[in-house]
Amino acid sequence: MHALSKYIAKRLLWTLPTLLIVAVMVFFLVRMIPGDPAQLILGDGASPEEVASLRTDLGLDQPVPVQFVYWLGNVIQGDLGQSISNGAAVLPLMLDRFQVSATIVLVAVGLATLIAIPAGLIAAWRQNDHVDIAVVAVSTLLMSVPSFWLGLVLLLAFGLKLGWLPVVGFVPFTENPWTAITYVILPVVTLMLIEVGVLTRMMRASAIEILRLEYVMHARAKGLSERKVLLRHVLPNAFAPTWTMIGLVLGGLLGGIAVLETVFTLPGLGRLLVDAIFARDYPVVQGCLLFTAVIYVIVNLIVDLCYPLFDPRVTAS
Amino acid sequence: MKYANLLRMTATTALLATAAAETSVAQETSTMRVRINADIRSTDPGVNRDANSDAVVLHMVEGLVGYRDDASVAPLLAKSIDMSADGKTYTFKLRDGLKFSNGEPLTSADVLSSWQRYTDPKTAWRCLKDVTGSGVANVTNVAAPDASTVVFTLEKPTALFLATLARTDCGGTGIYHKSSLDAEGKWVKPIGTGPFMLQEWRSGQYVQLAANPNYISPGGERTGYVGDKTPKIDAVRFMIVPDDAAAKAALYSGDIDVIADVNNADIEELTGNEQIKVDKTAAMGLTALLFQTRDPLLKDVRIRKAVLLSLDLPQIAEALTNGQAPASASVVPGPSPYSGAAQKEVPARNVEEAKKLLADAGYNGQPIKWLTTKHYPSLFDAAVLVQAMAQEAGINIEVETLDWATLLDRYTTGNYSAMSFTYSARLDPSLSYDMVSGNKDKSPNKVWDNPEGLELIAESTTITDQAQRQAIFDKLEGMIREDVPLIPLYSGTRIGAVRSNVEGYKTWPVGYARMWGVSFAPGN
Amino acid sequence: MIRQPANMIIGSILLIFIGGMALLALIWTPYDPAAIKLVARLKPPSPDYWLGTDEFGRDVVSRLMAGASQSMIVAVLTVALAITVGTITGLIAGYTRGLVDRILMVFSDALLAFPGTLLALGLMVISGPNKYGIILALGIAYSPSVLRVVRASVLSAREREYVEASRVIGNSEAATMFFHVLPNCIAPIVVLATSMFGWVVLAESGLSFLGLGVPPPAPTWGNMLSAARTYIEKAPWLGLAPGICISMTLLGINLLGDALRDRFDPRMEQR
Repeated sequence: MHALSKYIAKRLLWTLPTLLIVAVMVFFLVRMIPGDPAQLILGDGASPEEVASLRTDLGLDQPVPVQFVYWLGNVIQGDLGQSISNGAAVLPLMLDRFQVSATIVLVAVGLATLIAIPAGLIAAWRQNDHVDIAVVAVSTLLMSVPSFWLGLVLLLAFGLKLGWLPVVGFVPFTENPWTAITYVILPVVTLMLIEVGVLTRMMRASAIEILRLEYVMHARAKGLSERKVLLRHVLPNAFAPTWTMIGLVLGGLLGGIAVLETVFTLPGLGRLLVDAIFARDYPVVQGCLLFTAVIYVIVNLIVDLCYPLFDPRVTAS
Repeated sequence: MKYANLLRMTATTALLATAAAETSVAQETSTMRVRINADIRSTDPGVNRDANSDAVVLHMVEGLVGYRDDASVAPLLAKSIDMSADGKTYTFKLRDGLKFSNGEPLTSADVLSSWQRYTDPKTAWRCLKDVTGSGVANVTNVAAPDASTVVFTLEKPTALFLATLARTDCGGTGIYHKSSLDAEGKWVKPIGTGPFMLQEWRSGQYVQLAANPNYISPGGERTGYVGDKTPKIDAVRFMIVPDDAAAKAALYSGDIDVIADVNNADIEELTGNEQIKVDKTAAMGLTALLFQTRDPLLKDVRIRKAVLLSLDLPQIAEALTNGQAPASASVVPGPSPYSGAAQKEVPARNVEEAKKLLADAGYNGQPIKWLTTKHYPSLFDAAVLVQAMAQEAGINIEVETLDWATLLDRYTTGNYSAMSFTYSARLDPSLSYDMVSGNKDKSPNKVWDNPEGLELIAESTTITDQAQRQAIFDKLEGMIREDVPLIPLYSGTRIGAVRSNVEGYKTWPVGYARMWGVSFAPGN
Repeated sequence: MIRQPANMIIGSILLIFIGGMALLALIWTPYDPAAIKLVARLKPPSPDYWLGTDEFGRDVVSRLMAGASQSMIVAVLTVALAITVGTITGLIAGYTRGLVDRILMVFSDALLAFPGTLLALGLMVISGPNKYGIILALGIAYSPSVLRVVRASVLSAREREYVEASRVIGNSEAATMFFHVLPNCIAPIVVLATSMFGWVVLAESGLSFLGLGVPPPAPTWGNMLSAARTYIEKAPWLGLAPGICISMTLLGINLLGDALRDRFDPRMEQR
């Protein structure tokens, strides 16, 4: 256990320079984009003096490096500042929005994994026959559909034409779990369908590889039933690369699914970021990106730490 | 920090929300859902605001005066307004029995304390410069001789004082109770006299207002922000739906009851749907093509005129508004009482004349960068149409699409050759002309820099006689058309769409949703 | 073994079709894709306009073709950029190891952890509103994936005998790297490049949808798709056509990628 905690500490230490680079990039990149939050707040009727005075109030008149040092100092103390648009504190705002994105992403990817594992395994086992071709065709097709397009079609079909599900809005689970589910079904299903494609293909490819290995033949030669061969020998070994893939997918998606959040009007992290970019709400943009980077790093760490659980070969070495 | 209260408020409302969750089902039938396309910025009238904030806040607070449906000004909290003969003193008599939503009576002291906070520079009230110093009016003194009288004294007479107090972006200069602020004088939430009061603001999702049980109606016809504003529903929920297509779908599905502003492109589709009622009216904004008169190429008035002549303005207006608004080549919006013959005239297309002007100016296909944005679809469409039409006269336009913040930045700094732009509503012609005119060295966002014109505009604000003002505006119209610093396209149409069971909803030129007097049809 | 040529054939046919459309668009389209005809707005498919017209009366077929070249240019250049940057840094990282490697890895982690949205907007604005901004943004955003793949191949290759031999003979480090290590990385790069091509087409449409993509009026499939959303009830053909084109391209590229992987993957070769 000692070695493990040392490993984790070392990993975390190495993420610090990564996060610092992210922080620097974010800070200077958002300020290089033309456009000014003060102008946006004041609108088309504002005089240059009014804009200048609001800039001073917002602390935007300082040189950018000074602003950066000031901001970084606050971040280290856990203060991400306040939104320029509406004054809300950035951290609680982000956590609030993150809950929405995270719920949808975790449920969708979880369901996608549950579908992808058997589908990929069976396809690999029946490689090249019609079952395999069907699985490959469907999963490739699912991967090839833009998410917002699929989302929109589902929204039109189930929300509008059939009227089974609400079209806009969101209810937190803590408030009314049953209603909450009706609001997230469509985004979850959309995301799930898309990720099923990716994960099934991954699972199939790695299962095919394992099936060709000698110990599978040994197991078969020993007279184990196909079911046992698949479940005991192929599944655990083939899952490891898929698990890495799930990690990558989660790391990317947890940063917010801006496109789907726009289609389904969900108050998620991705939408918060895109809106903040358009509003030039610097503290929110900076906070969101730093937060996303931290999530990415943590998810990767967890994936790496879990890896030995799935891949016997790694434990051995 | 200014934001600490807001935080506290968000926290408490969140707690309240969990408590209120169980009762929400019972209320559902009388909560009307209205779409707004972005979260509001604050609930502080005229402070850190945008159009959505104004629309929501003006349900909760009322000022001394307010707009009627035709954007003229009428008493609101005031019962009567007397202007002295020299035009410098305004005496407001407050209505009897006025109460805030917390049950406290409203007196002249509340007007004074609200005014004090408005005119404190620390408040950052949007209209501070318009009522002090160099602006439209300079209020030198405000006094309350008795509990129901307030007297404003101005440095010099102006035609625009009451109109400024009523402005929506000034928060209607709404009067609020002192408990709207906390002990340190920070804004908490509005306690006003409006027909609704704040119930819950959930960031990124909705702002919910409940009917104000202490609302006192002045009676009279419901028009603009004045008259009988009695709420007929228990609550209004302003739902934040950023995406137009999603909002439209939600209206069809019944997840939203009211959209105050739908796209022109959708009108046929919405009109054809029996579940939806559509109400439209001419609006008072301005969509225009702006030229930078200091651009090396476009500083030549002949080239600007050639662009104007190459355009078929009625066809552009028809295409951009889907036939909903006529072309209007003046900065004065069509519905304005000052939109006379000079303002209403639309120049005809003349490609040959345009080519001749271009030849005179020695133009030979130098590209003109034309800025636009997708944020307002009509601005983008305008650029595409202008590009195609100008090409027929041999003008080479390159369209550059920017996001709204970048376009606004280029507009403010004057850093462009030409662009499509949209101005928010100006409700007085003096303000309409002022919106585009100014000294470019001081205000680079102004497109028309003409000293004689500026003097005329200043003169127009001090005169109250309508015929005299019209004469000045006609002269201005002629001058500005001679210079072509911009090409106004149309003042637009406001189209509201509601579910068929929503009764009493009316669209008006100012355009914001008004939810008092609106109700669900019985039997739903 | 029947399927492999099949996916190769179907994939190639799809891509040749799309690529042919893109190439043809460079010299000929049925109508000018930018020509506006206000009297013919939102016309359904007809013999004159095979796939109808859009909200400006522009011919959808012509715009699809022009969009194909735009989308292909964006995708090809982005992939080329990502591969170039990723391969060079990956070679350096894997070959030198040590501190340089560490630094490069930290940078690549930072880029991977950085959502493409902001990178796209930021670079787009810096490079001016044109397609090169998005190429730069996505190219840079995808290069760490290449870096990682190349680095892994280099790490395994540099221990091999022939690499050691090359060094012993006295070949320069650069020559060794170029002639002996790099060829080892080509197979995984090709496989990665094909899937990356698909990501770019999807990412471009997603960014356009959010208003961050290749700025209109340049026709790209993403732009067409996002513009079509407004008219989804009134003119469904507007969205269908670019949607199908995107899916066809991705299908083609995925099938071809599968075929290439089956052929190139060294682990499969052993059998």
